[in-house]
Amino acid sequence: MINLRRYTLIRNVILLWMSVVLCAAFLLGIPKINILEHTARNLYFHVPMWFTMMAAVFVSAYHSFQVLRSGDIVRDIRALQAARIGAFFGVLGLLTGIVWSKFTWYVGTDVWWNFDPRQSMVSLQLLIYGAYFVLRGALDDPSKRARIAAVYNLFAATTTPFLLYVIPRQMDSLHPGAEGNPAFSEITHPIMRLVFYPAIIGFIGMFWILYTQRVRMALIKHRVTHDPEL
Amino acid sequence: MAATSVPQEVQDASTAYDSVWAVANIPTQGLSGMEQVMLSHDKLYVVLAVVLIIWIGIVILLLRNDARLTSVERTIEEQGIPSDDGL
Repeated sequence: MINLRRYTLIRNVILLWMSVVLCAAFLLGIPKINILEHTARNLYFHVPMWFTMMAAVFVSAYHSFQVLRSGDIVRDIRALQAARIGAFFGVLGLLTGIVWSKFTWYVGTDVWWNFDPRQSMVSLQLLIYGAYFVLRGALDDPSKRARIAAVYNLFAATTTPFLLYVIPRQMDSLHPGAEGNPAFSEITHPIMRLVFYPAIIGFIGMFWILYTQRVRMALIKHRVTHDPEL
Repeated sequence: MAATSVPQEVQDASTAYDSVWAVANIPTQGLSGMEQVMLSHDKLYVVLAVVLIIWIGIVILLLRNDARLTSVERTIEEQGIPSDDGL
């Protein structure tokens, strides 16, 4: 089912790759920007979380679509685990964003959370995925669960680009990319791109490792208990 | 009806809802102890905090995976499936 030689090879490459990215993220000099200062380095960590979540959502939706086409329980396992790891990266992205905003937007105040549209919409998206996991828990028959969960998961995947990217950009937000706030492409120095793009690849690779591990575990559990829920 | 609505309107006209306008300088307190630490060294510790959050997240995921693996292993033992993996 899973090509173990390929998995091991890609895993080792990704782990080495991420180690280099981590070093580069701290060792390479970056231009000084007022307010941001060294927190600009969070670009290498906070932003790839969302790219990774988006990639996970694509993988999950693809497999949910395949569930509806074929009814294959293995596709259901893959859809669930991709969604789980995707939500995991989403939570990490939200938490890192809260810390970053506290020491840039909200310095000198007690504010940690001010219902910035970007953060609110992203929380909403994570709740939509939370409902996906709860919905699965409510259904006992694996093949019925696979189909119903697949339909809901396709809905959840459809809302993701809107709640993550489209709607927050239409509203007043302190987050870069919103109205009257420069986006990444115009202001980012080449030296930061040198680390940023590899960091995205590295974190998506980390997603792939974690996701594949959990799919392997779920397949074993399915073989033993005839219930793939993990 | 009229007796209740008139004082309401007077109150609306006379009391401010907020003590400062949004465009005015919002009074901020001095830096708290945590902020003094986090903002030192050009805010480098904020990056440390962010990396630690990601690291702790991965550790939690690792521990949860371990727990799931243990429960699957226990099921296998209960079912008496012979293990021939040489471990």
